[in-house]
Amino acid sequence: MGTFIAIVLAAVLTNNFITVKTYGVCPFLGVSKKTSSAVGMGIAVTVVMVLATLVTYPIYTYVMVPLGIDFLEIIFFIFIIASLVQMLEKIIQKLSPSLYGAMGIYLPLITTNCAVLGVTELVIGDMSSILGAGATMNIGWAVLYALFAGLGFTLVMIIMSGMREKLNYYKTPKALAGFPTAMVTACFICMAFTVFSYIS
Amino acid sequence: MSAKQFFKSTVFKCLTTLLCVLLVCGIFLTVMNSLLSVSAEERFDRAINKIYGKSVQTVSVAVADYNSNATINEAYKVTSDGGNYLVKSTGKGGFEGGTVTCWVVVVVKNGAVNGIQKVTIDSNVGQSYISKVTQSFLNSFANKPAKDTYFYTDDGYLSSGATRSSNAICNAVNGAIDFVNAQLGNVTEDIYADCSYIAQIDTRNSSHEYDKDKGLVVFHVQTATYGNASKFSIDVSVDKDGVIQSFVISKNGSTSGYESSMATGVLDGSVFVGKDITAIVAMFNGSATELPYPPAGLVTGATQSNYLCLNAAAFAAANYKMGLPADEEPDEGENNEEGGNENE
Amino acid sequence: MNKYKKITLDGLLFQNPTFMLVLGTCPTLGLISSAFSSMGMGLTVLVILTLSNMIISALRKVIPNAVRIPCYIVIIATLVTFARMFLDKFVPDLYESLGGFLALIVVNCIILGRAEAFANKNGVLESAVDGIANGLGFTVALTLMGVICEFFGNGSLFGLQIMEFKIGMLATPAGAFLIYGISIAVFVYIMDNFERARRVKANKLARENLLKEAA
Repeated sequence: MGTFIAIVLAAVLTNNFITVKTYGVCPFLGVSKKTSSAVGMGIAVTVVMVLATLVTYPIYTYVMVPLGIDFLEIIFFIFIIASLVQMLEKIIQKLSPSLYGAMGIYLPLITTNCAVLGVTELVIGDMSSILGAGATMNIGWAVLYALFAGLGFTLVMIIMSGMREKLNYYKTPKALAGFPTAMVTACFICMAFTVFSYIS
Repeated sequence: MSAKQFFKSTVFKCLTTLLCVLLVCGIFLTVMNSLLSVSAEERFDRAINKIYGKSVQTVSVAVADYNSNATINEAYKVTSDGGNYLVKSTGKGGFEGGTVTCWVVVVVKNGAVNGIQKVTIDSNVGQSYISKVTQSFLNSFANKPAKDTYFYTDDGYLSSGATRSSNAICNAVNGAIDFVNAQLGNVTEDIYADCSYIAQIDTRNSSHEYDKDKGLVVFHVQTATYGNASKFSIDVSVDKDGVIQSFVISKNGSTSGYESSMATGVLDGSVFVGKDITAIVAMFNGSATELPYPPAGLVTGATQSNYLCLNAAAFAAANYKMGLPADEEPDEGENNEEGGNENE
Repeated sequence: MNKYKKITLDGLLFQNPTFMLVLGTCPTLGLISSAFSSMGMGLTVLVILTLSNMIISALRKVIPNAVRIPCYIVIIATLVTFARMFLDKFVPDLYESLGGFLALIVVNCIILGRAEAFANKNGVLESAVDGIANGLGFTVALTLMGVICEFFGNGSLFGLQIMEFKIGMLATPAGAFLIYGISIAVFVYIMDNFERARRVKANKLARENLLKEAA
């Protein structure tokens, strides 16, 4: 139970992917102009993160490490993620065209989203500071971490899109329009999230 | 589709290209991996060199604890640099009972500890103010021309704003010094190590003597720290029947301003005077080895200070036999006067 | 020669990957709190980008169109893995300070972007120049911001303590976002003025020619 809470808090608040680790910033800046697209992107990323971890973690632990080919992890992981995204796109297209309409356009962008590769690399690395003493990494914790990291990503996406929707009503100087304004907004969100670093 | 057609189709071409690229990349990386892989030994040496500050050769040393305020985790003898020691030590007594783990480089000269060369913080448990520990504080360990003396926050070894963490760091460094001293064969035997009620007592800095004229054993008790209360120095006199005759606080460790909040019976010693260990234990519902916190009847504005004083009284009352002259208690007395022979 | 000058200027200024195209933001934001690690990241990307551009350009006639993206990804991932091994062996300090961002170079949009936009259409030499120019543009931008962030956020430069005064916020991701945003604004402003000046100058030249002809 303690580990569960520790993972949830770390993934969503204290080690949030965007505000603390700065993973997955490209979609965070690119797809956060409207709340609806931010939610779609966030959910798509969360789904792919969970599925990717579910596949890469066992493959790394039970196949690659025993065979001594763990140095090929980057090639394997990016390949798995790319094929997973392709497969997911085809499946959603077949099963639910309406869902595909909402999520489909974000899926191809996810392959080059560093949050997905980031989480698969993180869970095979040293996570002892997040798990706390006594707990060891296993597939359950890994998937849980991926799920809540994705939800934390979605949370920040939604906050950001809300602020940017409001900002649309104001005129900004030409040089500041677009990315600079978005980044200063992100700066404020990050500062707000530093409050959570006092959770221990 | 016939076999011939298949071999000419785009699908086949795509597949073979992809497989070829994969194969070439895989072979290239396998070769590179065998050429460039970093062995565990090399990784370890790197870590050690980083902590030590320069490239050295080390031998691992078996660890053991010689100081109740610190736990030694790892220790290495630096063979290429005059036999210095590199010790990873966890100091107790941090904020809210937390700990700080440090790497300590102990300088050895002529077979004795000759000061500290470097202290680096490795990790901590529950020290939210650890970031206030300054580098100049960590450097101050190296600047003290110490031979075998210890470091205490009371002597100014602290980083302002992180006193408790500083205390844990001092304990870690002191633990490392004790460990290296023991390795060098200069063990200062802890004469109270086997005594009871020593949980809150700084046994290495406590002492006792026998006052012949009055027939009293006088304990100069130095307590450990507890919660927010720091060390107390207390003189307790016990007669030959184990009854406390006087209880005088010579240095009050209570946080400034809280001295007056301590129980009056503790401040003047009247709670303890006239009682022996059985009476004290019965009064506070203690066990044969320790007393419960909070102590019943001593819960005031400075309960932690009261608790330390109570422990000092119990320690003196329980171990008075050590101080009695040899003819009255032959076994215990002999051991004591020789500084103790038994191994820990 | 003019062709190479254009490629270089595009990579360094007019299409600077960091300031104009805003690509590769994750490692930028994650590492600019330290000048050393941001410069190391820039140089690593420079090398990988140049090599991947050259390899992909050399193989552009061999790789079928349908599987080009997977092939590019495999080639880039191989180069990144190699860079990781190399740094771990020979530059362990940099390897440690780059941390997880080293593996994430694979998904750095700059590299795949240049492969798609340039290397699969141009020769090996042009692609190499393009890789170096873009890599330099990335490196200079990162180092510049790294110096600013580290100097004000930590009072030091490349790990060397210079002053006691520091604004701690600038060494955190929040400060990285702020400095990055302001840097983009300043860069865009300068480039806009530069473009305008160039246009004004060209117009003036054209008018003078016209007048000369009329005379």
